[in-house]
Amino acid sequence: MRDARLEIRIGGTGGQGLILSAKMLADALCAAGQRVAQSQTYEPTSRGGYCNSDLVVSDREVDFPLTTALDCLVLLDRMAVKPSWLLLKRGALVIADTRLCPELPGGDYRVHHLPLTRSAIELGSERVANIVALGALAALSAVCERKALEQAVRADTPKSFLDLNMDALAAGYGLAARATGDAPRAALPSCDRG
Amino acid sequence: MNAVDKALLPRLALRLISGNHACALAAVAAGCRFFAGYPITPSSEIAERLSRLLPEVDGVFVQMEDEIASIAAVIGASMGGVKALTATSGPGFSLKQENIGYAAGAEIPCVIVNVMRGGPSTGMPTRPAQGDIMQSRWGSHGDYPIIVLAPASVREIYSETLRAFDLAETCRTPVVLLYDQVIAQLTETVELVAAEGIRAERKWASGAREAYQPYASDGGAIPAMSRPGAGYRVHTTGLNHAENGFPTQDPETVARNLGRLLGKFEHHRDAIDSWQAIGCEDAEVVIVAIGISARAATRAIELARAGGLRLGLFRPITLWPFPEDALRAAAKHARAVLVPEMNAGQLSLEVERILGSKRVHAIHRYNGEPITPAEIAARAAAVLKEKAT
Repeated sequence: MRDARLEIRIGGTGGQGLILSAKMLADALCAAGQRVAQSQTYEPTSRGGYCNSDLVVSDREVDFPLTTALDCLVLLDRMAVKPSWLLLKRGALVIADTRLCPELPGGDYRVHHLPLTRSAIELGSERVANIVALGALAALSAVCERKALEQAVRADTPKSFLDLNMDALAAGYGLAARATGDAPRAALPSCDRG
Repeated sequence: MNAVDKALLPRLALRLISGNHACALAAVAAGCRFFAGYPITPSSEIAERLSRLLPEVDGVFVQMEDEIASIAAVIGASMGGVKALTATSGPGFSLKQENIGYAAGAEIPCVIVNVMRGGPSTGMPTRPAQGDIMQSRWGSHGDYPIIVLAPASVREIYSETLRAFDLAETCRTPVVLLYDQVIAQLTETVELVAAEGIRAERKWASGAREAYQPYASDGGAIPAMSRPGAGYRVHTTGLNHAENGFPTQDPETVARNLGRLLGKFEHHRDAIDSWQAIGCEDAEVVIVAIGISARAATRAIELARAGGLRLGLFRPITLWPFPEDALRAAAKHARAVLVPEMNAGQLSLEVERILGSKRVHAIHRYNGEPITPAEIAARAAAVLKEKAT
């Protein structure tokens, strides 16, 4: 059985825009002809409670739409570590915010600690940390074309936030490039749809 | 194609939408022009979408003062000749039960969405459950018929919402759309098809006004309603009533009229019954499930078959009345039956009742965590091992 599933989680707290960034990525993948299922777990407290937004990507219709073995995990808060860590596949990509998620358990994963929220603050608003994270995730996972993602972010952003969001996305790509020393991106095993 | 379909067409291509969004789009496409509701997680997106969609098509959206008023307004709108919808979740569904019984008894077409979340009471508002399976059938008092549809994907929420409005009219009954929080708030890539050709219009009374009997069977067991203002004499009540609509406690009249009511779906089972069977022909274990548990089972079948264990799935799309004959046929050759469900045991009871002598195993979970494909595959393997020893 060829398992064509790719599973991605963006975890953090309510109010960080995790669902929005997952929807943007889903839109970019959908535009490229991929089948996507995007789900979320959140708490009744809409701000500050644990929240994650998950994507299952496939080249055929997704059967079970929830994640069970993560290929990629983005952590924007330490609260998201525990519910996600046991779901990681061996060799999975982990991107964690240096400020809000400084410590991680060990394991055989490709871990990148990146200053996602600090970059967002430097750009003018911590609220765009989700978009910085999205850029870093797309760059390090090679899950979709940059152009398609830029288009999706543009389409889902109100005018007043457009410049800030596009700068945030570019900052995410920049952080990823510095983290890998501009080395060619290694595609995840299940991203290879050749 | 009518103006509504044309307006919706750009939205019908391959696209990403959520289950609740699909429900709202399908309602408008089915001809729904009235929504009354009270916000409740995880169904509120339906109301949110319809608050924008309905005014576009000259429909009415009302945010009511509470859940009971919402279903009451929907019943009133329908009696006025407009296809009407309300949407809620567990606590609101409980509050609506008396009026759902009224709609069933007075035979007022309407559609009620119940998105299942953790319970009892206010339970877990943002977590999924499947604990309203029995409530959707038996929640109101007394003997009454009701149709319950249980879609398991965003695409199916769209198609079953269309069918719900269709069945409400052709069977003159409340129809419940029952799905869990995961499916409701899941966003999936879907290709939606236009609603052409499947919309049922209400059967209105015609002919002599003096002879009109609002609850007299026409042979098909579904009496025609009278269009408001058309001059027919009508009386609508929650009391047991005779063919003329007026209350009665005469045993013979009650037995005749209630008997017609309780048996009226039998004339329409071809249109009502719907199910999906995957791999049941050669399955050692047949899984029976709905909603997110059925989606997990679909993947479990693939995982298990790759390892040499033959699983199958029987998924009732029309949950009530339960497609009993189809289940018996699907489970006929199976060595065991397994029911994974997010409650303490509801669907498994019905499956046990239908399959009689066959041992029914179950996974019952009520902690808000969906059952996974690996758990279903492992339990199926264990069940067979148990049988072999």
